[in-house]
Amino acid sequence: VKASVYRGKSGQWAFIAHRISGFLVMMFLLMHVVDVSTIHNPRLYNEIHELYSRFLLRLFEVGLLAALVFHSLNGWRIVMVDFFPGVIKREKEVLTAVLFLTALATIIGGYIIIKPEFIH
Amino acid sequence: LSLDSAVTDAPAIAPIESSRRRGASFELWSWYFMRISGLILLFLALGHFAITHILNDVAKTNSGFVARRWENPLWRIYDWLLLSLGLLHGLNGLRFIMDDYIHSSAKRATTKAIVYSVTTGLFLYGTLTVITYKA
Repeated sequence: VKASVYRGKSGQWAFIAHRISGFLVMMFLLMHVVDVSTIHNPRLYNEIHELYSRFLLRLFEVGLLAALVFHSLNGWRIVMVDFFPGVIKREKEVLTAVLFLTALATIIGGYIIIKPEFIH
Repeated sequence: LSLDSAVTDAPAIAPIESSRRRGASFELWSWYFMRISGLILLFLALGHFAITHILNDVAKTNSGFVARRWENPLWRIYDWLLLSLGLLHGLNGLRFIMDDYIHSSAKRATTKAIVYSVTTGLFLYGTLTVITYKA
């Protein structure tokens, strides 16, 4: 059986990216509730949170920032398109702005997150 | 209701209509909730990330950092709002994903039961952590 695939344009890619970024942030949130709840045992908490400052986890945090900023700004774009009919005409430019701001925030934030790794 | 209508042979239109309307109003409510909670979460989540990763090096966010922050009940309320709105917004998003991609209704029901239980459990666990913590 050959299923037909809807080939949308930029809006469809924004939709897919919104789902994936939202799913990833939710998975992190579920895990984060568990690791924060070890605060009742401060020594265990510190042992676990020491991992967050390892290089690999810092890279993960940059990814989390990208997902978070994209999902936030794209969500804001969705609200704009829903409530202000004029925005739909400039929908593509708004998406470009979302992508540009996501990249900018990720680069600047990523630099700040990674930097301590190199100045000990 | 469907059994009743089968027995009495009464038209089943009324109950279906009312259940449809109920479903529609829930989805409308859910639609507004995603937008309103999303706009609030934009500030709560990015604010939280900025505090723990940008304004402070993550290496400094140890148990002492949490103890100092949670001395102020306003930060506990902030964190609890982020916890509850984040989980509810995320859970509703997972509901869309499960409805769209799990086609077998038995598997969908099982997956939803697991996802709803885990999220509810973690919401209670996180709430308990925020309320009962003593430095």
